[in-house]
Amino acid sequence: MIKDDFFKTLASPWLWGIVLLGAMLPMVLSSYYTHILTIALVYVALASAWNIVGGMSGQISLAHSLFIGTGAMLSAALLVKLGINMWAGLVIAAATAGLLGAIIAWIDFRFQLGHLSFVLITLAFAEMASIVVEGWDFLGGASGLLLPQDTGNFLDFQFGGGRGAFWVMLGLATIIVLVNVAILNSPLGYYLRTIRDNEKAAQAIGVNVLRQKTTAMVISAVLTSIVGTAYVRYLTFADPYLLASPVITIEIVLFATVGGLGRAYGPALGALLLVPLGEVLRGKLGGAVPGLHYFIYGIVVIVVILATPSGLLPLFERLFWRRSRMLPKI
Amino acid sequence: MALLEVDKVSKRFGGLLALNGVSFAVEKGGILGIIGPNGAGKTTLFGVISGFIRPSSGDVHFDGVRITGISPDKLTRRGLVRSFQIVQTFADMTALDVVTTAALTRRPIREATDYAADVLTRVGLGKKLDETPATLSLQDKKLLELAKCVATDPQCILLDEVMAGLTMAETEAPIGIIRELNRQGVTFVMVEHVIPVIMRLATSMVVINFGEKIAEAAPEEIVKDSKVVEAYFGEHLDA
Ligand SMILES: Nc1ncnc2c1ncn2[C@@H]1O[C@H](COP(=O)(O)OP(=O)(O)O)[C@@H](O)[C@H]1O
Ligand SMILES: [Mg+2]
Repeated sequence: MIKDDFFKTLASPWLWGIVLLGAMLPMVLSSYYTHILTIALVYVALASAWNIVGGMSGQISLAHSLFIGTGAMLSAALLVKLGINMWAGLVIAAATAGLLGAIIAWIDFRFQLGHLSFVLITLAFAEMASIVVEGWDFLGGASGLLLPQDTGNFLDFQFGGGRGAFWVMLGLATIIVLVNVAILNSPLGYYLRTIRDNEKAAQAIGVNVLRQKTTAMVISAVLTSIVGTAYVRYLTFADPYLLASPVITIEIVLFATVGGLGRAYGPALGALLLVPLGEVLRGKLGGAVPGLHYFIYGIVVIVVILATPSGLLPLFERLFWRRSRMLPKI
Repeated sequence: MALLEVDKVSKRFGGLLALNGVSFAVEKGGILGIIGPNGAGKTTLFGVISGFIRPSSGDVHFDGVRITGISPDKLTRRGLVRSFQIVQTFADMTALDVVTTAALTRRPIREATDYAADVLTRVGLGKKLDETPATLSLQDKKLLELAKCVATDPQCILLDEVMAGLTMAETEAPIGIIRELNRQGVTFVMVEHVIPVIMRLATSMVVINFGEKIAEAAPEEIVKDSKVVEAYFGEHLDA
């Protein structure tokens, strides 16, 4: 099922060294920096989940706010309005997101959408989703939903805020990056990359395009929804303008592209660099000249994309990785 | 028994009748050569057989089953695979990656990569495993088309001008692999402009002109057919 490279990655002291070191950061960092890193990990997880569709099969989906929103708003509503345990809410939301993903993949195939039509249709789905959320009181409407205080009760999907949330996000981000490694080392990864590069040729060598694209979209949607649920628990407030708005997808696409599309560690790298950069710029400059931090942030992004169009990861690899050969080639 | 049967296939593109009631059969283990001038409809015929083009009328049977309208990927998994005359490129993957995907049709991933490397070596691309197909020469892209087909472990391969542009010396590797697979029972249908190559390989020949089959015979007979000489060989006959 999966090539040995995946198991080599799983056994890599580098991987677990980095994760363990990361896990110790909240012990030494202030709660402010722990918060920034938690948000960065949310985006590592989201960008890596998006990568399965956007990077590997090359379908620039803007529908992912729909999946984040499903994971966040639906599980929050189920808890607040119906008293349904958030673990169950997580599963229900993830299943719903998976179904929505399958429907989008089917529409894409049935109507043979080109790249641009796919982008626009997925954006339309996201817009519709945000309208539904804002207009439907069950999901909190425009004013959102306030979750009960996080008292650290694990059985209620509570992790004690702060450090607990950081560890949950670190775990989720690690798992989703490893899912990327697993897919790239399994038939699905080969199928998706072939479809991305040449759909007609992929069919000719036996690739079932509908099935593989649907599989990718469902995996991506389910993972994204799970992150959405964990994120809303951390935020405690289910804000539709953050969690169900297409803007969040644009950020995800940006991080994944800057880091390296279609690569297992690319989107993670992009999010880990850009989220803290954005936060620090805002903290240092946001008060001085309004909008200056956005401007500098934009320049950094433009320079990176122009300098290394396939992303930072290929650049980093050329600089150190291949030489050390400690990490398996993905 | 015939492995592949094409039964009165027609294909109309708007006002153009690209195929007009073409019928023929290929025996299991045979090598059918298809020749005909440019624009005769050969590539369209391959499109119909491989499921990429829906015929306006007529049917195709493979291994005793009617396959008209079945999707190309399903046909490949059933053992009927085609190459493309217009070589297909891949932006990001290496030649080995692409052929590995083809090998996954019938092999688990742990074997697929080694098998793909083996197939690439056999067609003569052993030194180019890690190159992206986009950077390969036209000849190498043609060999990659052959390698992709072979790696799917098919019963029948449709080859659309894979030898075009190769020097006589360069045709040796693909001819060798075609012969070897044919000995193992793989059936071939080949469109080829390189007449000496097709004469060496084919067990039977079909000639198409303006979408119609104008002749069908053994290779040594076909060059004597006056219609064929007129339509196709013309002044090239003695070349
Ligand atoms: N998709 C298409 N739409 C319209 N006309 C086509 C299409 N494909 C092929 N044709 C036309 O059909 C005829 C046969 O083409 P083709 O099958 O490529 O011939 P050959 O492979 O024998 O050179 C040509 O006149 C070609 O222009
Ligand atoms: Mg042709």
